[in-house]
Amino acid sequence: MRQLLLITDGCSNVGMSPVVAAAHAKAEGITVNVIGVVERGESISSAEVEIEEIARAGGGMSRLVNTHQLSQTVQMMTRKTVVTTIQQAVNKELRQVFGAESVEALPPDRRGEVVRVIDELGESSPLKIALLIDTSASMRPKLAAVEEAIRDLVLSLQSRSGRSEIAVFHFPDSENGEGCVCDLDWTDNIAGVKRILPRLAMRGTTPTGPAMMQVIDFFRQGDYGRTIRGEMDGMTGEDVV
Amino acid sequence: MKTSSELRLAPGTVITGKWNRGRYRVERLLGEGANGKVYLVEHSRRLYAMKVGGDAVDLQSEINVLRSLASRRRRTEPFLLAVDDYVHRDGKEYPFYIMRYVRGSVLHEYLQREGADWFPLVGYNLLGKLAELHEAGFVFGDLKRENVLVGSYGRVELVDYGGATAIGKSVRQFTELYDRGYWNAGSRTAEGTYDLFSFAVLCLHLFEGRRLLQLTKTLLPQNRSPADLIRLTTGHPALKPFAGWLARALGGEFASAREGAAAWQRIMYGGGVKPARRRRSTAGWAAGLFACTMIALAAAIVWMISEGMLPTGLS
Ligand SMILES: Nc1ncnc2c1ncn2[C@@H]1O[C@H](COP(=O)(O)OP(=O)(O)O)[C@@H](O)[C@H]1O
Ligand SMILES: [Mg+2]
Repeated sequence: MRQLLLITDGCSNVGMSPVVAAAHAKAEGITVNVIGVVERGESISSAEVEIEEIARAGGGMSRLVNTHQLSQTVQMMTRKTVVTTIQQAVNKELRQVFGAESVEALPPDRRGEVVRVIDELGESSPLKIALLIDTSASMRPKLAAVEEAIRDLVLSLQSRSGRSEIAVFHFPDSENGEGCVCDLDWTDNIAGVKRILPRLAMRGTTPTGPAMMQVIDFFRQGDYGRTIRGEMDGMTGEDVV
Repeated sequence: MKTSSELRLAPGTVITGKWNRGRYRVERLLGEGANGKVYLVEHSRRLYAMKVGGDAVDLQSEINVLRSLASRRRRTEPFLLAVDDYVHRDGKEYPFYIMRYVRGSVLHEYLQREGADWFPLVGYNLLGKLAELHEAGFVFGDLKRENVLVGSYGRVELVDYGGATAIGKSVRQFTELYDRGYWNAGSRTAEGTYDLFSFAVLCLHLFEGRRLLQLTKTLLPQNRSPADLIRLTTGHPALKPFAGWLARALGGEFASAREGAAAWQRIMYGGGVKPARRRRSTAGWAAGLFACTMIALAAAIVWMISEGMLPTGLS
């Protein structure tokens, strides 16, 4: 199972539309979730629409939250998406085996067994989550909370029985940035990592779409296997492009 | 995400189950949370609680837990009674289940009303419930004030099995304040110690709520630690006798809830518990007034006896 979680607080303004990028992700079997982080009094109504559309195109969900709710939301979204992904796969089986459209269509006394299977697979299936963090200037005061949410997510993932890995990216990659930087390659343990995200916020552009495309590419390269991953360990922003 | 929040059932609405055709008349809303709404309903002249969920899979997970609990304790009165779907006029379907109606109040309201003297017993009963659940192979997960109902004489019932998780799996649902991961005190793997940690935070929340919430606002995430919680265990007279116990629970030291319950019981009857000081709430004030009245009444009776003025029926 593969998820891309975008955490942002504004509209993209450079390059490919993030909605198109999200549709690409979906086509690759990557579910896209989006969290919009807002501070009290802050209004991002225009971004709100974009956030919703990205999630819809990416087959995931979107939420607008403040920094205090961030950890809980990341955790909940991830879990929920795992269940939904499995559920979709199970529904496909159900159609073939029982001729039922979905779990809901089964009579209640037959749902129990199916849901047990969903729960079990949700717990044990391998899971890869790429976090793509907007570090443009307005996000700066929120980055500590984002970092905390990432650590919290890893803690939750560690208690799953299936293999669970995260990778972290931030964007823009430079002053007139066109893409993202990989801060953390696939890992299941970040205990030794002092600081995940750079504290130096970039001003200027928000290339959400291009950054997403790079992350999708990163997923695909990961599929080639360990040799290529080894070469990518020391990867920087330029290497991704 | 689907939610049941858009569905509001007015009192008097009659719901007929799609599959089993059971009829339930809605009396009123009992409460709601993240996974659904719970209504008081009438069925064949008896009252039940009906939980209506938005998501069939989530609700079914909960039902699965309740089922496996039921199969373990056949002799007791069943908790889960029926499972069905409700088809709304607009065509949408909502899954629901019917459970025993627990007459009682949520934990903090109970203690506020009945007084902190009930706390040791209620705590003990709650530990017993947790131990029972653990012995059935589950951890409760989302232990918090709203999910503990207390009935007459401190009887305790856990509601909301949305967080209940088979031991060894990752806790399905939790609330940050009560989560040991949030306090940098351990994993989110479902173990008995996970619930005992939440239980200890719950105790702190009941009597040191303000200071507890203050901690969540002032401490940096990486600095949160069980030591901060342990410091809150000695302040309030109701908690003080249990300070050592709470420290052990926060440190994950009890091997099981059963062991924790036994230790709690020893403190309860070991003379360590002093009657709690009355809270200075309106209830406490009213109780004080009542006490004064009783003293005045007693004095009057003593006077009447000494003066030989008692009515014949009483002498
Ligand atoms: N069996 C019951 N009897 C009486 N009240 C109940 C019962 N079950 C739940 N409630 C009330 O409804 C509230 C919400 O139910 P709960 O199952 O906790 O929903 P959620 O999973 O959405 O949090 C509870 O806090 C409690 O006050
Ligand atoms: Mg609840």
